[in-house]
Amino acid sequence: MMAGVSVESPAWEDDVLPPPDWGRKPRSPLTTASALFAGSALLLVAGRLWIAPALDVRAVDAWTTVFVAVCVQALPFLVFGVALSAAITAFVPAGFWTRVLPRRPGAAVPVAGALGAVLPGCECASVPVAGGLMARGVAPSAALAFLLAAPAVNPVVLVSTAVAFPGRPEMVAGRFAASLLTAVVAGWAWLAFGRGSWLRVLPQRPSAAGDGRWDAFRSAMAHDILHAGGFLVVGGAAAATINVALPASWVASVAGIPVVSILVLALLAVLMSICSEADAFVAASLTGFSPTARLVFLVVGPMVDLKLIALQTGFFGRAFAVRFIPLTFALAVVSGTAVGSVLL
Amino acid sequence: MSRPAQNLLLVALGAAALWITLATGEYLSYVRPGFRIPLAAAGAVLVVLGGAGMLRDRRAASAHGHHHHGPGVAWLLAAPVVAVAVVAPPALGSFSATRTASRPAPPPPPPDEGYPALPVTAEPDDMSLGEYIGRAFQAQDGRPEVLGDATVRLTGFATPRKGGGWFLTRMVIACCAGDAVPFRVVVHGAPSPGADRWVRVTGTWHRPPAGLRRTTEPALDARRVIRIPRPARPYE
Repeated sequence: MMAGVSVESPAWEDDVLPPPDWGRKPRSPLTTASALFAGSALLLVAGRLWIAPALDVRAVDAWTTVFVAVCVQALPFLVFGVALSAAITAFVPAGFWTRVLPRRPGAAVPVAGALGAVLPGCECASVPVAGGLMARGVAPSAALAFLLAAPAVNPVVLVSTAVAFPGRPEMVAGRFAASLLTAVVAGWAWLAFGRGSWLRVLPQRPSAAGDGRWDAFRSAMAHDILHAGGFLVVGGAAAATINVALPASWVASVAGIPVVSILVLALLAVLMSICSEADAFVAASLTGFSPTARLVFLVVGPMVDLKLIALQTGFFGRAFAVRFIPLTFALAVVSGTAVGSVLL
Repeated sequence: MSRPAQNLLLVALGAAALWITLATGEYLSYVRPGFRIPLAAAGAVLVVLGGAGMLRDRRAASAHGHHHHGPGVAWLLAAPVVAVAVVAPPALGSFSATRTASRPAPPPPPPDEGYPALPVTAEPDDMSLGEYIGRAFQAQDGRPEVLGDATVRLTGFATPRKGGGWFLTRMVIACCAGDAVPFRVVVHGAPSPGADRWVRVTGTWHRPPAGLRRTTEPALDARRVIRIPRPARPYE
């Protein structure tokens, strides 16, 4: 075989695939893969046999169940969110977004936030979709407003909130207002203070025709699922640890203290990492906490939680995550408290 | 992560999703029944995605020998796959029920006109724990006829209780097992079958002591306790 034959590989392929320094150098790919699979299987079996009895088998079982449950639950949202994002990058012409969204980023931010209210999506899906929007030339601030708004104010979430709080429509209204406010202000803040170098946007993929376009779609999807999925697993493990290890009495004992209870529920929303379609039911079960504290829980949860931190770090880089996540958290707490004290 | 490993992992992940939904139904230990179709569809997409990648690599291998590398963090995705394949973690039981006892699940909202009175019949009424708890609250709230002396049959697992009796328990999930909270009914008059044992309990409403002003935990006087295997749908 001649070395020169490799020109058959389309020229844009190197843009589609991640730079080589993202991965490791394998010795022999398939052998390494099988060995690692077997190794992790052995590790789990060994853990089951020798470590588990020493802990508390029931706690280990519960941890594993919650871990698998968070992963299983997020998987369809991740797969279809990534598919949507890959479809946006591969099939939607770049000019489309500049037509839909106002040209000025300052005006595009609220429009993008409102778009989030229309599209039903889980937070796991909105991260890759926002990445796809940025890759398609949407202003990062607008894409970020969409990222925050989409899982928080979409119709599915609002309906589940109404179901979880029967006879309390002000909870739904408060959630909608405070979440949209947070998303838009966060977008504007990024527009005013954010720097492009903090944000790692995947390179814009040139659209190829026919076969090449499908191939670009396929490899973009495979890459994003694997990458985001790896971080999702980190988030799932963290959430399972919190679920099994955080003493329930700590949470109950602070319920009555005004400001502390708001901060505790905000922190709990981050740690519990429940999907936005379910968090209303959890908030409803947190009886003893004030309505405002529970509203803050509902506003923070879809925007900042362990699996989102992991996903955002994976998609946009650490420099982005360490700035954007605290910003969002602070904004969500403040606007949740403000809206709660007016409405509830 | 090498290309063959990426494709292998995608296929394994998809196969695991298909396995727990279509083959074993284990997905019911993790998520709600309505999740079956999206989960199976996601599994199928992953298998197709990985399979297509493998096919393409085989075709491309003759053309060029170099491999592209994916993110190393993706290896972590093997953890849930292995957990499903090797450990197959069971549905949450008494450990989680005890941990989340401070925030029990709210019973489902009663019908608008309230629960109808329960007639005394020869055959016990099969009732969900949620409905029983909802009825027990109404019964304590001045409408004792919604439970009365009728015989009911409840299904759940046992959770230890301090201070007499044991809890018949069923976890409730809104989305996935990560948000599970318990329905609990105190069982009097029968020895505990042991923590995490699934049972079907036949009995009548245990009235709270007369003159008590506050609401008490819903309770049941057991007449019969039968051990059953874990139901296919462990959550309510």
